[in-house]
Amino acid sequence: MDNSTPDITSLLIDHIDGVLPATEKQQLEKQMAADNIIKDEWENLLGTTEAIKLYGLQQKIGTIHREMMTELQTPVRTISPVRRIVRYSVAVAASVLLVVLGITGYNFYKLSPDKVFTENYSFYELSNTRGAGSSITVAEKAYREKNYKEVINIHDNGSEAGQLTQFLAGLSSLELDNNSKAITCFKEVIETNRQTNDKLLEDEAEYYLSLSYIRNRDYDYALELMKKIQDDPGHLYNEKITGQLMRQVKLLKWR
Amino acid sequence: MELIRNLPDTELVANLRAGKSMDESIKALYRNHFESLCWYIMNNSGSRQDAEDVFQEVVLSFIDLVQKDKFRGESTVKTFLFSLNRHTWLNELKRRGRALVREEKYERGQERTELDAGHYIADREGKAEVTRLVGELGDTCRKILLLFYYENLSMREILETLHYENEQVVRNKKYKCLKQLEQMITEKPYLKQSLKNLLHG
Repeated sequence: MDNSTPDITSLLIDHIDGVLPATEKQQLEKQMAADNIIKDEWENLLGTTEAIKLYGLQQKIGTIHREMMTELQTPVRTISPVRRIVRYSVAVAASVLLVVLGITGYNFYKLSPDKVFTENYSFYELSNTRGAGSSITVAEKAYREKNYKEVINIHDNGSEAGQLTQFLAGLSSLELDNNSKAITCFKEVIETNRQTNDKLLEDEAEYYLSLSYIRNRDYDYALELMKKIQDDPGHLYNEKITGQLMRQVKLLKWR
Repeated sequence: MELIRNLPDTELVANLRAGKSMDESIKALYRNHFESLCWYIMNNSGSRQDAEDVFQEVVLSFIDLVQKDKFRGESTVKTFLFSLNRHTWLNELKRRGRALVREEKYERGQERTELDAGHYIADREGKAEVTRLVGELGDTCRKILLLFYYENLSMREILETLHYENEQVVRNKKYKCLKQLEQMITEKPYLKQSLKNLLHG
């Protein structure tokens, strides 16, 4: 029940609105302290204004809520089985690619001319080339005894000319890590054959010459020679020139 | 706008308290907290719609508390909102007559801050009834009262907005509307305490 007078209510509202002059405000507060009905009316009006503020805020939140639900409720995309398979396949392919790239990168990092040379070089067993009843040369004897310096001396002083001494001098130079000397000797074998229209130790010289080029970092020469061997199915070392070896030498060019 | 998303708690609370950048501050509350609070309700017997309704109520309670200086930053905004959310939802479940025993046990084990949050949402039904009555006012009355008490417009600004004859007419109208609303509320005795709660938090 409303027990307050319109005048008092009006004053109370002015007080709530902050427009009541100070003297009237003091007077009103005294009345409120002395009269519970006025005090109740004051609290009811004040509570009502709070309800209005709360309603206003509630409306604002409701408006923003609708806007935010549109923003936040991004539709959950369902993935069809086919798309899922494609997605997994791509993921697997990407993983494989990463592994391959990783291995390639690692191999590239670890690759060196010495490593490629060591992996493909094998000691030349002389006995394989000799026919029965042939007499052994001094250079051949020295090579068998691994006296590589002596083999090179024999080659250099010309006491035993010919493709075998040139070839053994090339092999001995490789054993002594003298790449340029080895290249010279193997090229001599090929040149001698060309002059004598012969093929003695030609395939062997070409193969070991290509290895000498690799270790000497002459990759273009090595590749050219290896390509020649690879293209010749009848070449004694054809199977030794693998695709992997060619790739390794090509990679070495970029290091 | 994304700019306000990562506002520190202190700035966010200061904005809400001062009524500054309200829209963006409320949006920041949504962007930072809605999903996790929604998840809680949906994992405790609620639907997405329940979560949305409760979150609106939580934001309303939080801003009201901040503006009445009842949130003093003793816990983070996130913790406080979570607590409000949980208490509001438990209260709603009880109202629906299917309180979860397990949740009640959990509730009893919570820290002091959260018990305070529970206190803050007391009488949520009373407050909801009071605000519902505001909505039942006629359009004109509701508009005048909102413009004056919520938007803080002066009588002159309201006059320009609503095209009344003069300020005194607006003032008289506002008086009648406020009195009407007060009577709508006070004629329901059970809302007397709710009205006091609105004043004292």
